Amino acid sequence: MAGITIAGLSTVYPNGVRAVDSLDLDVLDGELFALLGPSGCGKTTLLRTIAGLEGASEGAVGIGARDVTRLPPGDRRVAMVFQDYALFPHMTVGENIAYPLRVRGVAKSVRQDTAVRTADGLRLGGLLDRRPGQLSGGQQQRAALARAVAASAEVLLLDEPLSNLDARLRLEARTFLKKLQRELELTTVFVTHDQAEALALADRIAVMDAGRIRQLGTPREVFQRPADTFVANFIGSTPMNLVPRGSEIIGVRPEYLTPAAEGLFTGCVSIVENLGVTSLVTLDCGEDQIGYVVPEDHEPAVGTTVTVDAPAARVLRYDKETGLLVR
Amino acid sequence: MSPLWMVRRIGFYVLIAVVLVFFAVPMLWLASAPFDAKPGLGLRWPDWTPANVAATFDHPYALTSLMNSLVLCAIATAVTTVLAALAAYALSRVRIPGRDLLLYLLLLLSSVVTGTAAMVPIFVMMLQLGLINSQFGTALVIAGGMLPAAIFILKDFMDAVPRSYEESARVFGASPRQVLGHVVLPVARPGVATIFVWAFVNAWGNFLLPFLLLRDVGQQPAAVLLRTLYDEGGSANLRVIPVFSLLYSIPVVVLYLFVSKRYGFRFHGGIKS
Repeated sequence: MAGITIAGLSTVYPNGVRAVDSLDLDVLDGELFALLGPSGCGKTTLLRTIAGLEGASEGAVGIGARDVTRLPPGDRRVAMVFQDYALFPHMTVGENIAYPLRVRGVAKSVRQDTAVRTADGLRLGGLLDRRPGQLSGGQQQRAALARAVAASAEVLLLDEPLSNLDARLRLEARTFLKKLQRELELTTVFVTHDQAEALALADRIAVMDAGRIRQLGTPREVFQRPADTFVANFIGSTPMNLVPRGSEIIGVRPEYLTPAAEGLFTGCVSIVENLGVTSLVTLDCGEDQIGYVVPEDHEPAVGTTVTVDAPAARVLRYDKETGLLVR
Repeated sequence: MSPLWMVRRIGFYVLIAVVLVFFAVPMLWLASAPFDAKPGLGLRWPDWTPANVAATFDHPYALTSLMNSLVLCAIATAVTTVLAALAAYALSRVRIPGRDLLLYLLLLLSSVVTGTAAMVPIFVMMLQLGLINSQFGTALVIAGGMLPAAIFILKDFMDAVPRSYEESARVFGASPRQVLGHVVLPVARPGVATIFVWAFVNAWGNFLLPFLLLRDVGQQPAAVLLRTLYDEGGSANLRVIPVFSLLYSIPVVVLYLFVSKRYGFRFHGGIKS
């Protein structure tokens, strides 16, 4: 068990791109940590630098008390699950799971025991003699997780762990993943571009953009008080309303807005989108479009004029120049 | 069913039959002539006799030449497969400027370098190296001629092995040798098997280079000896040639069947990227 310490880390590619830019980060022991950001923000590069698959150009990476910056991947005591799972197609599931032990020269009988035990813990019992190609997507993901668990590493790294699953399976796998991490109490860092996934899974989230961390906090902090307009835009299943008012930008989540006699915004209902239990209503307020969420069966008619308001604590003010949170 | 349709259909089957005969007759000859009391160049029902087989086994060089062929091909094939696999892996993974140009140039030049155009220089070089009449030296020249094409084909197979497989193995602590042996080669195995058979068949049928470089009849492989099978009168020795041809064709067929069954020339499933 160990936390991860990242200090002044930069990863520069040979073509000069600074994928990770002098970044500081501490991942606590036993934490489930999310690296969240749009594609190309450097989150996968950061993960690969922790694993040792990319070399650090500047700065240091520590795992526990050890400085691993210059260690090859195999000596870092990290386990990694790749986006495509990287299960070896010519080996059985059992051989795949026991592969980390085979590399270390562990006896075959011990390897088999470990494979059986690990597979049982991840609901893969009875599938050990199959080939990865004969497994479903969810089983493949669990096999890849089992292989990482069998490596008995100090840190588990997951690259987009849920992105190769279809939508329904993804929810199931998400719950499973969180439960597994709680049981193992293993320091885990995962990369995702899906803000809902990060909010649901992580103890803490680092929102990344252009190789830097824009905000670091718990899912609640990041959702309720985004540190700047970039994070505000990125987090939330419906985009945050960001409306310029003088030298400031006012930010309110559509979920916090409710119809009121008088309030922040008044406009004409232009579009109503059904989201299932709720509907997203778009108001035309002059140049701005304001979205707010209403419960089912409470949708206003298109063309009516509606005024919406939010509790003062849920209305955020950003500086127009810097985009940073003022209050 | 219009008359025109009938005519076209019949014409089609006649054409197929002609093509079939074209391929089948040599096969049938190979099956019947070795055991015929009066073997000829034509195809007929044989008067069964083992005399031709005995005559072939008594021929001073027939069996020796088949052994020579096996040794020559084994060396050439092993050298080609091992070096091509390593070179293709390296070329697939290491980024060097002008890599693709290098590959195309190699491929282009290889057909020139070991072809007829280079006969004299190759002969002179081997003479100065003292490698005339050496199975090993000849095998190296044959392998040298096959390597560029083998590397070129295998590189595609290596390119198709996802990098995440290798990175995954590396994170678990595998050394470069383990990555190659545990992951890359097994995944690229159909490609390696293909190159193995292709190299063997090519070396087995190679006439020019052994003819040039192995001057001693006792060293010559089957492909070269076949040309010298005359009887005292100077016409083709039809007692020995049919049996010899049959023996000559067996290893290639056996190898093909074995590799196809054991490894398969198809691509292994389960690769997504």
